[in-house]
Amino acid sequence: MHLINDLIALIAANLILTQALGISTIFIAAQSKKNLVLTACTITIFTMTGSAAAYFIDRTVPQEYNESLTLLFYTLSIGIIYVVLLSVLYFISREKFDRLRKYIHLSAYNCAVMGTLFTINSKASADSSLMSLPSYLAEGLYAGLGFILAAFILTAAYRRLNSSKVPASFRGFPSMLVYLGIISMAVYALK
Amino acid sequence: MTVNRKTSFDGIFRDNTVLSSLMVISPVIMCGDTLKNAEALVYAFTAITLLSVLISSFVPKKLPYAAKIIIYAVISSLVYIPVRLAAVEFYPNSIERIGIYYPLLAVNSLIVVQTETKFFRMKKSGMLASLVSYILGFDAVMLITGIVREFLAFGTINNRITDTELIISGFSQPFGGFIFLGLFCGLYRKLRSVTVNENAKEKR
Repeated sequence: MHLINDLIALIAANLILTQALGISTIFIAAQSKKNLVLTACTITIFTMTGSAAAYFIDRTVPQEYNESLTLLFYTLSIGIIYVVLLSVLYFISREKFDRLRKYIHLSAYNCAVMGTLFTINSKASADSSLMSLPSYLAEGLYAGLGFILAAFILTAAYRRLNSSKVPASFRGFPSMLVYLGIISMAVYALK
Repeated sequence: MTVNRKTSFDGIFRDNTVLSSLMVISPVIMCGDTLKNAEALVYAFTAITLLSVLISSFVPKKLPYAAKIIIYAVISSLVYIPVRLAAVEFYPNSIERIGIYYPLLAVNSLIVVQTETKFFRMKKSGMLASLVSYILGFDAVMLITGIVREFLAFGTINNRITDTELIISGFSQPFGGFIFLGLFCGLYRKLRSVTVNENAKEKR
């Protein structure tokens, strides 16, 4: 029962289905299982490490400059994580670097990552009990898991929505948007 | 000459930013439910993207890809500051409603992806024309979405009450945004295919 409750909470707080963040990336990820796993893992790494960085930024930036300077500091922190991840991958293996760097490039300044940081920021601004490192990390992890879940939901229907049975004008992206809309409607009802 | 013109203005119709390339769709889905919101987003997107890409075009091309993307994102984050300060004056209510989607415009795909894959491979004049067309493509979709969703969801246009009896409040919700954009995208593709076929017939 707890597992079902957790699953419902994860779906209800899903950034893609409730906030439409990272839609174009999820369409790319859903094209193959390999793409899905690697993109979702990279996004999760970015959301978790980015959330940790966001915690320190939110504690440091004065409230009166929150609206204008936060973006700049988030951008710089994601930039640092971007370079660190590429460097680590490069030193681990050149072969892996060549194969996996496209996922890092795709995820770095993704709406799903930046949107997660801003969502956590606004939640912590509204509720001071959330202003802690574990809370930020947990939100970052949930966002990554939510991305994986939404990608699986889309992958399940990907082939059918791209089949020749769907009218040419609606094949692919248009039908996937309508499909996500219907799933989003169900999530809205859950909330 | 005709071919060049077609390429430079592809962003408005043939390769529309939102409907064809599926870029910057989150604000359209989440915040494109009224014309006022749409205007605020159009202003911010136009100002941030135009200024950021123009300034970024002076970044040395020899730098590594990741370094250039970070510099472009930092430039747009700096451009965002005065744009937001002005928006607070002009659209105070919409800024509240748009929330996190306002800063997210500063790291949109046109700035962090299309700069390297498209714009900076062109000559400066061609790049400017193409950039303006992609921006106008987004602006048009955003405004149309804002007008239609406001009309369907609230029965108003720019806060003016119309005499419609057909009100579907779901269009103001995120799921309404998804469904509307999906239908709009399908209609756009149909129109595009009809136009392309007619052009092909005329050439024959």
